[in-house]
Amino acid sequence: MRLAFLLVVLAGAIFYTYIAFVDLSFMTRSGRLGPGFFPRLVGVIAVLFIAWSVFDAMRDRDSTDAGGSNSAWSDAILLMALAVGYAVLLRLFGGFVATVIYLAVALAILNRRRHLQNGILAVAVPSGVYLLFDSLLNANMPPALFDMPF
Amino acid sequence: MDIFSDLIMGLSIAITPINLLYLLIGAVIGMIVGVIPGFGPSAGLAILLPMTFGMDPIGAIMMLAAIYYGAMYGGTITSILLNTPGESATVASTFDGFPLAKNGRAGPALVMQAVASFVGGTMGIILITLLAPMFAQVSRSFGPPEYFLLALMGMLTLIVMIGENWRLGIISALIGFALGTVGVDLETGQGRYTFGSAELIGGIYFIPIAIGLFGLGELFFAFYSGLHRTGTGGIVNYETEERFWPTRMDWISTRMTMVRHSILGFVVGVIPGAGATIASLMAYSTERSLSKHPENFGKGEMAGLVAPETANNAASSGAMIPLLTLGIPGSASTAVLLAAFVLWGLRPGPLFMEQNPELAWGLIASMYLGNMALLAISIFAIPLFVQIIKVPYRVLGPTVVVICALGTFSVNASFVELYIMFAAGIAGFFMRLYGFSPAALVLALVLGPLAEEALRQTLAISRGSFSIFIERPASLWIIVVTIVLVVFLPLLNRFGSKAETAKKSGI
Repeated sequence: MRLAFLLVVLAGAIFYTYIAFVDLSFMTRSGRLGPGFFPRLVGVIAVLFIAWSVFDAMRDRDSTDAGGSNSAWSDAILLMALAVGYAVLLRLFGGFVATVIYLAVALAILNRRRHLQNGILAVAVPSGVYLLFDSLLNANMPPALFDMPF
Repeated sequence: MDIFSDLIMGLSIAITPINLLYLLIGAVIGMIVGVIPGFGPSAGLAILLPMTFGMDPIGAIMMLAAIYYGAMYGGTITSILLNTPGESATVASTFDGFPLAKNGRAGPALVMQAVASFVGGTMGIILITLLAPMFAQVSRSFGPPEYFLLALMGMLTLIVMIGENWRLGIISALIGFALGTVGVDLETGQGRYTFGSAELIGGIYFIPIAIGLFGLGELFFAFYSGLHRTGTGGIVNYETEERFWPTRMDWISTRMTMVRHSILGFVVGVIPGAGATIASLMAYSTERSLSKHPENFGKGEMAGLVAPETANNAASSGAMIPLLTLGIPGSASTAVLLAAFVLWGLRPGPLFMEQNPELAWGLIASMYLGNMALLAISIFAIPLFVQIIKVPYRVLGPTVVVICALGTFSVNASFVELYIMFAAGIAGFFMRLYGFSPAALVLALVLGPLAEEALRQTLAISRGSFSIFIERPASLWIIVVTIVLVVFLPLLNRFGSKAETAKKSGI
């Protein structure tokens, strides 16, 4: 997994450096440093360092991988999946409704067999947050893509 | 400039009912953030920053600063009662804090940690009051070469403090620099890495990245570490103890400990990259070597708790010096604070105290009041924080996701920023897991644009010659200080780590 993560970072760094060399000029017409100067510098150094780390990770493949248990991974990935689902819900149903659905689902999975507590939290937290952001702080709440009937 | 009249002016600004209310709210929130394992001041500040947008700048900055130093107070409660530090700066407080609690002295330990935090914090602010105007005076002669070198110094010192994972620290910083280059180049007007997106023209905003890395990333990592599965069954019940208040001996034996580690913590805090964690570990190590009974350390020695507590609070005050006088944050938390200043249209730096005396001195004055409030809160509201410790992580987790998401959206009403925040959260988890440094990334994201602009200006002034950096005395001095720090800081780091290793191996 560590190697895979480093390879993704390396791919990103190569792409970043490629754009810096292809799209961005090193000097301006007036002879001053151009918009490509810093990205090229950063990109080249990043590619070198990440490639070095990839090489090390490949060499010590067995010893360096984080040996988290399956349950550790599944719990972290479950929470990430729920968070990504929440991002989609926010776009579709807006701040309040999306938060109620997200909390109801997330708590049903994570805080099992406490239906009453979960139900109260799934309504109370979004209400509290709505009051805080929308009424007290006058801040933006995500609008719904689809209008709700209520 | 008369420091005392400025301070009185600052107090007159800080002591208004609404500002005092903001200060108290910030102090309590800071303590709550500190109490929750896995969340430090950076996470608390990043998550709560959007909520200050409806407030006036002075109140908002006072509240955010209170969250910052309040987290240092809160983090120790779990160190003492649960043997779980609320954040890295309170790791050293578990060494003797938890043994004290197990020996039936949780009450005195909680009171002494609050007093030590108060002394460290207040001494730190006294030193800020005296030294900040002097630093500002010195830095007034600084130009682009010096600013570039200061930004470089901030990054280098942070990276050398990372220790054996320094290469991953450099990669993290480079990712931050790369993210900082997104947007329109201000000098030529050319778009960089915007890929036609109108939302990226202004660059990648700091807040979604900070909230993602420190808020969501830490939360995912906490779930990975199984914090949601571990209950709070091991919490020490201090209410059944016969004696809550410390003995006379506790006060007498630790009075000099507080003084020396206030100064040590402050000095370490001023150094960019060093910060509260290394200050607390160093303080513990130093106190043990100075003690007449080093064998008692790790078994419930009051000085072993007081030393790191004093130092980490003094260090968090010390870190305000480079922020206020140079505009250079030395840590992830102060980088978030800098972002808050910028959001309010303020640019900390050499002229900040002269151009914004009300805000600068109002903030400093509020820190005196905040520490007094925190002393009272952290002694008398312990039952409240014990209840917060008992809130299970499996309930807290989804709620934190909600606050991070809605907080991010509330800043610019941008779904792109919301998605960036979620992406940063997932990236932050893997960074944390594989030894990268989210703090270096955030610091580089803040310092990157500043460093690039300063470097380009410098080379324009010098017509492309790098010798300008050694021709200017101020630049030369910064280079010398940077070299000294880069050589000296790993030794400090090793000194601090020795305390941790010794404790783990039971020496």
